[in-house]
Amino acid sequence: MSEALTNVFWILVFPGFVFTLAVGLFASWLVRKVSALVQWRVGPPVYQPAVDVMKLMGKEILIPESAHRAVFVTAPLVGLSGVLLLATMLWLAGAGTAFVGDIIVAIYLMVLPSLALILGSSASGSPHASVGAAREMKLVLGYELPLVLAFVVVIIKTAGRLEAAEQLSLVALAQHAPVLSISGLLAFVVALLCVQAKLGFVPFDIAESEAELASGVMIEYSGALLAVWKLMQAMMLVALPLFLVVVFLGGLGTSGLGVLGGIGKYVLVVVLVILIKNTNPRVRIDQAMRFFWCYCGTALVAAVILATLGNYYGLRWL
Amino acid sequence: MKQEELDKRLLEVEGQLIGIERTAANRVYLLCESENVYPICLFLFDTLALRFVISTGVDAEHCFEVLHHFTDDACGCMVTVKAFIRDRESPEIESITPLIAGAEWIEREMHDILGIKFRNHPNLKRLILNDDWPEGVYPLRKEVQR
Amino acid sequence: MNWKMWALKKSVWVFHVNCGACNNCDIEIVNLLTPKFDVERFGIKLVGSPRHADALLVTGAGTRQAAVRLREVYRQTAKPCVVFCMGACACGMGIFEGAYHIAGPIDKIVKEVDPNAIVAYVPGCPPKPEAMISGVVKALAAI
Repeated sequence: MSEALTNVFWILVFPGFVFTLAVGLFASWLVRKVSALVQWRVGPPVYQPAVDVMKLMGKEILIPESAHRAVFVTAPLVGLSGVLLLATMLWLAGAGTAFVGDIIVAIYLMVLPSLALILGSSASGSPHASVGAAREMKLVLGYELPLVLAFVVVIIKTAGRLEAAEQLSLVALAQHAPVLSISGLLAFVVALLCVQAKLGFVPFDIAESEAELASGVMIEYSGALLAVWKLMQAMMLVALPLFLVVVFLGGLGTSGLGVLGGIGKYVLVVVLVILIKNTNPRVRIDQAMRFFWCYCGTALVAAVILATLGNYYGLRWL
Repeated sequence: MKQEELDKRLLEVEGQLIGIERTAANRVYLLCESENVYPICLFLFDTLALRFVISTGVDAEHCFEVLHHFTDDACGCMVTVKAFIRDRESPEIESITPLIAGAEWIEREMHDILGIKFRNHPNLKRLILNDDWPEGVYPLRKEVQR
Repeated sequence: MNWKMWALKKSVWVFHVNCGACNNCDIEIVNLLTPKFDVERFGIKLVGSPRHADALLVTGAGTRQAAVRLREVYRQTAKPCVVFCMGACACGMGIFEGAYHIAGPIDKIVKEVDPNAIVAYVPGCPPKPEAMISGVVKALAAI
């Protein structure tokens, strides 16, 4: 009984919904503040993302007549629950509780928010939204393969130093820092760009491009449903950099200085994402796909070869 | 071509004009009746290779005027064909769109606003008035009050 | 004051609608949203869809064609929302008073859809971005 209660507490409060939400809203504010500082202006106060969500909750929900009601309403909730599970799993993996094969579960859960976005915008009954959905689908096709390959590189790298049963476990991965090697660095850079695309940030915010598509995928959403999308985006800002930290940078650390170091690593990844966002223009969908398949693919093939060679010859820096 | 040569070539159509006005060295008005507007524009566009700029419609008190503006970029001279439409009840004139495709929209605008009918226009539909504007009310005619 | 109104005042998302303007006011609105004036510190953000908007920045005198579309956009804006008439043409009809193509100033068009619409006026031809900020802040304080 208390086991079930503990699980509910983990999922709903800490480190689940409430905690991830708080960190996510803070991370959203961090994105806007750093962008403002890069542009030599002041930027919003720290409570701004929370106030945005509060305001959206207080507005009416308009559902277009030609929209498919059931999918339109449930798609944001599906996305939110996917991110929630992913974030809970990652915090617990960082703290030491995990299971074999959880990295595969994590990859599956990471697709869920993008899928929910595609479903929700397809159900909107608007030509702008369907163009946004088509672009989001193409983008997902583009970056999913490099993202999975990047994790495969890490798994290859640690295969020589882990028991076979522990290979696919996040806790085991979190104890090594694959980024301190050439193939790991390549894989980290590619994974960072894929995460940029998954978060929907410039240069890959093709689906939600403001000026071109009048907000593309979310054009017909309003009120509380839009608030759920914003919450989902805020929580993705926690879950995805956390994933990168756990897999590539050596985890969060369980005590004392290790925890501070873990938080520092998370902030570093978020700031990298923000800086890439602020210094690049938006690319077209065909440029994005070519980038992910040709350039990232080649880099990853090189990384896989280097990692295998490093494993075979026992060279950790390869 | 140079200004003097242009002036000389313009005299070739003098038979179809009722007058030539010169308000400045490089500003020529060729006055004609509405029946002769197409052959004169054909001469200016095809033979003299002038560039079509824009057209103007004017509601003068006792007649309508349709002006087609052409320019010779080499010498900077603007040649305007000023056609008089004497029939105020149902003004009609030959369209120059079959000759110059770029005149299509300005003729549609003149039709919308002044009610001038262009014969042989490929697409004389409403252009700038809104969809439920009443048919037959031409806003820029002098007799129309608001 | 309940939490909904407080949150609305702290976070105003704007959507720009041009109802037959000469583009002068539109240029000033776009200037307003550049980093120089930094309206993000007030929580003001430009959104691409009227369904996400709290404030409609309407410019232009309201031509007959635009009036039809403006009514539709107002219906699509999630309430509660504020309509800001930016510029002399939107507040009254400006120099287009008496013209044949005008369907009335913006507040008349909006009140045909919703007689209780909240409308704020920012005059000027065009209003400076500082005037627009002042107008928005005063209007939000008065709600």
